[in-house]
Amino acid sequence: MPPPQASYAPSLDKLIKSLKSQPYETSIEALIFLLKRRQVKGDDCAVATAHILLQVVARSKWHDVDQLLGRVQSVGSRLARAAPHEPVIGNIVRRVLGLIRDEASEERNNADDLGSESGSDIQSLAPTNPPPQRPAPTPVLMRSSTAAPGGLQVSKSMFNILSAATSADTPMTGASTPLSQAQPASVHALRTEVIDGIEEIMDEIQSADDQIASFADVQIHPGEYVLAYQPTKTVERFLIKAATKRRFTVFIASIDPIDPGTGEKPYAALRKKLNSHGVTTVNLASNGLMAYISRVNKVIFGAKVIYQNGGLLVDSGACIAAQAAREFLKPVIVLGAVYKFCPEDPSDEAVIGELGNPSSFVSYAGGPEVEALDIENTVTDYIPPSLVEVYITNLGPQTRHHLASILADHYKVEDIGYSLHDGEV
Amino acid sequence: MSKQGGKGAASKGKKPAKAGGDDKREDALQAVIIADYFQDRFRPFTLDKPRCLLPLVNVPVIEYTLEFLALNGVQEVFIYCGTHSEDIEQYIQESIRWNPSSIICPFSSLEFIRVSDATSVGDFLRDLDKRSLISGDFILVHGDCVANIQLDPVLAKHRARREANGDACMTVVLRSVGEEPHRAAKARGITPVFVVDDTDSRCLQYDEIHPLIKDRRLMLDQSVFKHESFSVRSDLIDCGIDICTPDVLALWSESFDYELPRKNFLHGVLKDWELNGKLIYTEIVEDAYAARASNLQMYDCISKDILERWVLPFAPDSNLMHDQSYRKVKNNSYVESGVVVERGSKVLQSAVGKYTSVRAGSSISGSVIGRRCVIGRNVNIKDSYIFDGTVIEDGAVIVHSILAGDVKVGANAHIPEGSLISYNVEIDRDVRLPTKPPARISAKTDYGEPVENDASLVGPNGKGAAYEVVDDDSDSDSEEEEDGDPAQLQNNLIYSLEGLNISTLSVSTLASSDDYDSDEDDEHAGYLHAGDGQRERLSSFTSDDSSKPDAFHGDAVNGLVDALRGDDNEDFDSAKLEFMGLRLANNASDSSMRRAIAVAFTRRAAEMLSPEHGGLEPSKAAERVLRGKNGAAKFIRDVGVGGDGVKPQVEFALALQKGLVSVKGLESGRAGTLLAALLQQLYSLDVLEEDGILAWWADKRAAEGETMTKVKEKCKVLVDWLEEADEEDSDEDEDEDSD
Repeated sequence: MPPPQASYAPSLDKLIKSLKSQPYETSIEALIFLLKRRQVKGDDCAVATAHILLQVVARSKWHDVDQLLGRVQSVGSRLARAAPHEPVIGNIVRRVLGLIRDEASEERNNADDLGSESGSDIQSLAPTNPPPQRPAPTPVLMRSSTAAPGGLQVSKSMFNILSAATSADTPMTGASTPLSQAQPASVHALRTEVIDGIEEIMDEIQSADDQIASFADVQIHPGEYVLAYQPTKTVERFLIKAATKRRFTVFIASIDPIDPGTGEKPYAALRKKLNSHGVTTVNLASNGLMAYISRVNKVIFGAKVIYQNGGLLVDSGACIAAQAAREFLKPVIVLGAVYKFCPEDPSDEAVIGELGNPSSFVSYAGGPEVEALDIENTVTDYIPPSLVEVYITNLGPQTRHHLASILADHYKVEDIGYSLHDGEV
Repeated sequence: MSKQGGKGAASKGKKPAKAGGDDKREDALQAVIIADYFQDRFRPFTLDKPRCLLPLVNVPVIEYTLEFLALNGVQEVFIYCGTHSEDIEQYIQESIRWNPSSIICPFSSLEFIRVSDATSVGDFLRDLDKRSLISGDFILVHGDCVANIQLDPVLAKHRARREANGDACMTVVLRSVGEEPHRAAKARGITPVFVVDDTDSRCLQYDEIHPLIKDRRLMLDQSVFKHESFSVRSDLIDCGIDICTPDVLALWSESFDYELPRKNFLHGVLKDWELNGKLIYTEIVEDAYAARASNLQMYDCISKDILERWVLPFAPDSNLMHDQSYRKVKNNSYVESGVVVERGSKVLQSAVGKYTSVRAGSSISGSVIGRRCVIGRNVNIKDSYIFDGTVIEDGAVIVHSILAGDVKVGANAHIPEGSLISYNVEIDRDVRLPTKPPARISAKTDYGEPVENDASLVGPNGKGAAYEVVDDDSDSDSEEEEDGDPAQLQNNLIYSLEGLNISTLSVSTLASSDDYDSDEDDEHAGYLHAGDGQRERLSSFTSDDSSKPDAFHGDAVNGLVDALRGDDNEDFDSAKLEFMGLRLANNASDSSMRRAIAVAFTRRAAEMLSPEHGGLEPSKAAERVLRGKNGAAKFIRDVGVGGDGVKPQVEFALALQKGLVSVKGLESGRAGTLLAALLQQLYSLDVLEEDGILAWWADKRAAEGETMTKVKEKCKVLVDWLEEADEEDSDEDEDEDSD
């Protein structure tokens, strides 16, 4: 008998494994339903979106930049609408759109400058740095385009230049029919560039936690008391990294007294790791954290998403901790990778918070009293920017006033205006 | 319920499986959806649409089931349809998501199977067994299941159990909802009672109770007490999700008369587990949601649960359907795009579908409104379900009712609690529908013809007439009981015992899983009492003679007599099997079985005495009847007498005596001789022991009435002989004490 499959339920890992073997449209739909069923959430959404967009760029049929942008926008908005509670998806889509615009404009520039050189040279000359490291290429043409109602108009004209330029270098490719050959060559080059770019974004997502953790020893000083409210993976890594260099005490606040899955105390693995480095850990029930706040030196959160005003989404309950810290003048440190920075203001729904299943607070078996209650279990909290002291990104610590420049570096103005939640293309 | 007209059980609706489905067959997870219920609880709505296409929070019920299967990674789906099967097939065909040829369908194959002559769920499963489509473990669900359970751990447990013991054939997924469930969380009509072993969660016994039976108690099987600790649980929702091995289908095939998966199959298999050796386990989930929209009350309850997000990810704003666009707005409501809610109107804890408009001054609370509805000014809608395209004019009041699609409600009409208004009905202005009993209005008859409008009910310009739920047997609502039909409780939106003839109003529940001492009970059955003084008893289907006595008795006797008449070389086993099946199907008690067997044998024996059947001597006839067939004696010993000790033997002897007395045209002298001959044969076949016969002789009941005494007298010779033999016995063997 063959070893039975361990699990049947679809998951992101399975989806990524099957990406190559199925039509990309199938993968998109599969992801949409994973998102709708909340089988993929949090940071995984970013990874999943990048994977899907990579497939779209690599496998869908497109002949010019406009088509590609349109394709990515439509797929992106479908994904974003499937999970309006995960703005990270929109961030990745915007990053990819920006990437495509960059590559297209660069190719145009290259073609302009090096019109007589061969296509292969164009490819090799294209920058391979990840976008964040690169100073934002803000051609005058694109800046001015923001005032114009249609951003796509510009790229169309851009493309015309591009195709004109590429047709100029067709003699060098040795093709028999210059006109028909021109398009595929540039499309192919662009495709490769964009795929490389998306892979870099994926690398960035993957390495972001480590990069953030590398700032840990600057932030946490020996002998400090640190409150971590429901530490996310990012926060865990941050604390562990700090523990290798520093001796301090961590208060871990959490809602569930016992992890329902394993029956262990929450964050048992994290505590073990911290203890092995000689860091003392204390578990707190979230409602008891007020008593300790005066003792705490700083409060650390991992953000789900950081809006352009500096406000952020966190797991529910964290806002109280942040407010308590504010009352006691304790600094609040927010960990969030650059890809979590969202060039939007928080929507009303986001500020109210996403509603979860009431059963985590009230048992369905509770009888008539349950019927008499209206139970709202918000699973996310919005922390207003005024409560946050410093944001630690994978590019280093930032204050609220510098968030705008990070956003400007990473998103194209055209894409910021593009609403992902409106109708499909 | 009307049956499918097609010829033969051929799978007309079968569609080619998607390529690539076959090579993964080994470990692809399979699921079977039962999409017909052979019930009419959703009448009159189901006249137009099958139950699994009725909208539940504006999404057809079957979507929830399919999504639940997709959520758990099911690859191959088989759907069994009955009535309206074309509609269901068409729906799936037109669905972008579920059409198996669509690239976005999460299933590798989705097949429809039609069984034209099926009259019960059992017929479906027996058909499935014949088709051998199932290669391994599969999930059996109903087409009205709403659940968000993660089945992976359950499947893993099931697999581990099956590998440890090949007889572990089924895992029943149940959900605990507490003693006094939130809302109508349980189908309060019928409460399932599971007896579960605490250590390995094996299901030991299954019974059902409902408020209409007079004698609410639960007779625990003797074998239950062999387990160290067990719980009797009536706080569970049976969500109809079973994880089965193909053995389960074989069991269905063996028991050709099982109809319902629970009441017949589960009850029967557990009852006879010593015969079939199959083990059934339960999986009780506490932290996930699962329920079946199996009646209107459950429909109501699940709708509310979805609105309150208990069933996440199934909430309106998850937009699981392709063209949905729900957003959460204030007051815990969900609104689709294109909805116009005028100022001054309130929408509380409701869902409102696309392009519906709500005019000023109206208030909607706890309701689900479909698409393209028009709701006028100052309308008040509370706890109601309104399907697509309904028009409600100014000032109407609708409380806790269901209005199907394209209904028109005139201005200032009043629709009180519990009203069910089917498709295309029109209620004239200023009409007040009756409250007791709540109106049930349809524009169609059972046969799909338009009804004659009942102006006194729906007003002079109205359309539609009262719909009567037909309550005849051919409807095959197989949950009928002799004490009253619990289905009555289930086809109303509002759970009410009013107007129904029941002995007490308290719906009984079991308090807890105390350990009951079997010794206290002489019948080896635990009568359960709740600890708080108030006596609550659970029902028993096994204890009383009266449960369907006629149907069972008649069928059983005829079956046995036919078998006895049959070819002499034939084995008696098939007759036995049939008899056992009949017994399980009818929940016949031991005593009615005994009676049936005794009557069958005496009838055959008496028949042989008559000249046209050879006019045998009584002794010859008795021998022919009892020894003529292989296994007949064993059958009597195991089933007819059934059990050790003197008491069952006395009962059987009495039954024989009564049987002979009741045979027509047999004069009592001859009957007595025949009885003596039968008893003697049974004695020599070791079916009856001398103690048993002597105890019968001494029993008062054997001498009630003139004929009985006459018949009995004829056996005196036998008894004297036995007594003598007995004395000799005790003389020879003095150690043995005989009384």
